[in-house]
Amino acid sequence: MAEARRRIVVTGGTSGIGLELVRRLADRHDILVAGRRADTDALPVLPEGVRYVHAPLTDPEAATQAIAEAMLKAGWVKLDNLVLNAGTGFAVEGGIESAAQIRETLAVNLTASVLLARALFPWLEKAGGTLTLVGSVAHTGQGLFPAYAASKAGLHGLARALRAEWSGRVAVQIVHPGPTRTEMHAKAGHDPGRLRDIFIPADRMAAMLEGAIAARRSPVTLSFGRYWTGRAAWSGKL
Amino acid sequence: MSAARRALVTGASAGLGRAFAEQLAAGGYAVTGIDRDAPGADAPFDHLRCDLADPGAVDTLVGDLAGRGPFGWIVLNAGISATGPFEAIPPEAYARLLAVNTEAPMVLCAGLAAAGALAPGGRLVFVSSLSHFTGYPGAASYGASKDALAVYAKSVRAPFKKAYGVSVSVACPGPLRTDHAARHAPEGADAAKRMPPDEAARRILAGAQKGRAMITPGAGATIFALISRLAPGPVTSAMKRIIYDKLDRSVF
Ligand SMILES: NC(=O)c1ccc[n+]([C@@H]2O[C@H](COP(=O)([O-])OP(=O)(O)OC[C@H]3O[C@@H](n4cnc5c(N)ncnc54)[C@H](OP(=O)(O)O)[C@@H]3O)[C@@H](O)[C@H]2O)c1
Repeated sequence: MAEARRRIVVTGGTSGIGLELVRRLADRHDILVAGRRADTDALPVLPEGVRYVHAPLTDPEAATQAIAEAMLKAGWVKLDNLVLNAGTGFAVEGGIESAAQIRETLAVNLTASVLLARALFPWLEKAGGTLTLVGSVAHTGQGLFPAYAASKAGLHGLARALRAEWSGRVAVQIVHPGPTRTEMHAKAGHDPGRLRDIFIPADRMAAMLEGAIAARRSPVTLSFGRYWTGRAAWSGKL
Repeated sequence: MSAARRALVTGASAGLGRAFAEQLAAGGYAVTGIDRDAPGADAPFDHLRCDLADPGAVDTLVGDLAGRGPFGWIVLNAGISATGPFEAIPPEAYARLLAVNTEAPMVLCAGLAAAGALAPGGRLVFVSSLSHFTGYPGAASYGASKDALAVYAKSVRAPFKKAYGVSVSVACPGPLRTDHAARHAPEGADAAKRMPPDEAARRILAGAQKGRAMITPGAGATIFALISRLAPGPVTSAMKRIIYDKLDRSVF
């Protein structure tokens, strides 16, 4: 079901699931990756031809502006897919994160997503595009990283409301990945130990994510149920 | 009730927060009420002024409150809304809403816990919204902020019980007869159908006292929550017809 060339923005496309998704799409589509790294640290990991904009989501307003400017600079007047995949979190004892950890988690995962959805809506509407929010199976609650779980619940609620508000104009979906073998846990200060071995490989998760984006359904859980039944191998293409 | 006779309520000057503060005061608690606005001279509680949208002010507040604890009751109730088509509301209003509704209560909760300001055997209540059980077209960011808060409460419930012996509850009240609700409701909405804040506060405090994880005050809210859990899609569509399609103005 491969379609025409699409214009796609992926946040957090410099590692993990986002990078694997970009690798899958780079040959067939025009991609702009937004990330927190300086250009010199980002461009070497990205496939050739992929655009990059330095837009740390810890400052949601500035990042939104940087991404909008990068789209204008690229001459994009329409956007087919906005994949809000960047995410961060901190594993803590006793359910207490520091104020700084709470603020960073909410800014990157939730506030930036709200502001980007708001700012890029006109681009998406022109293309009849799709907004994809990457949640987590932790969105129902998780004592090891409460603010992370909370931010993903916020995305779930945002998707439910926007999907109804924008129906017929822009498709909105929330996709909840299960445990995936990326560096996210190490960055969060959490060692899943031997459990990590059964986590879903990032490229397989990206394959399921691509299929979910193409299908435009919501909400979607991409976890062991789908993985073990082989869905990564025959997920649809964007 | 618990040994520490001190209580903290945010958004205490009006509406539901005012009802919490008055009822806790009537129950013999020395109540500290946080609000942007003063509660008036007749308020039976202490007032600390704070704009919860300002991170610096929230950090200062955590320090001030640590000296006033430990608290047997903490009710994190303050919230603001923004209603209208999602793309019609200015981004500043969203940043502010998420700061007040989600970030401030989480930073207060974690900060007070870290400072030892939660009394063992105490109660910590987060006020979310009945919209947690459905989608909220016409108030997408408000719904998101309250979903985040509800799941934060669920997440810290087990660790807080274990580490501090504190019972964490989340309350999801439906429409209330407050100025806040009147400002955001569609034109012609019937205020008589909304629950008076005194009754909601009473039911929420009673539920938290019993140690309930989730409190949906009133039979109407409980039934709505149940139906939404069974059929979230159709309920969100109904919400769109009832609220979003009738929005005659944006308020933020
Ligand atoms: N891995 C899992 O088990 C799992 C499970 C459920 C959901 N998820 C979600 O899936 C998404 C991708 O996670 P992942 O596992 O692929 O993790 P990852 O490898 O750490 O990738 C996260 C991406 O977000 C970027 N990022 C982090 N903070 C940022 C900021 N302040 N500004 C801009 N970009 C920022 C990272 O940049 P750098 O490359 O510079 O670090 C990276 O590109 C996240 O939303 C995550 O919450 C993951």
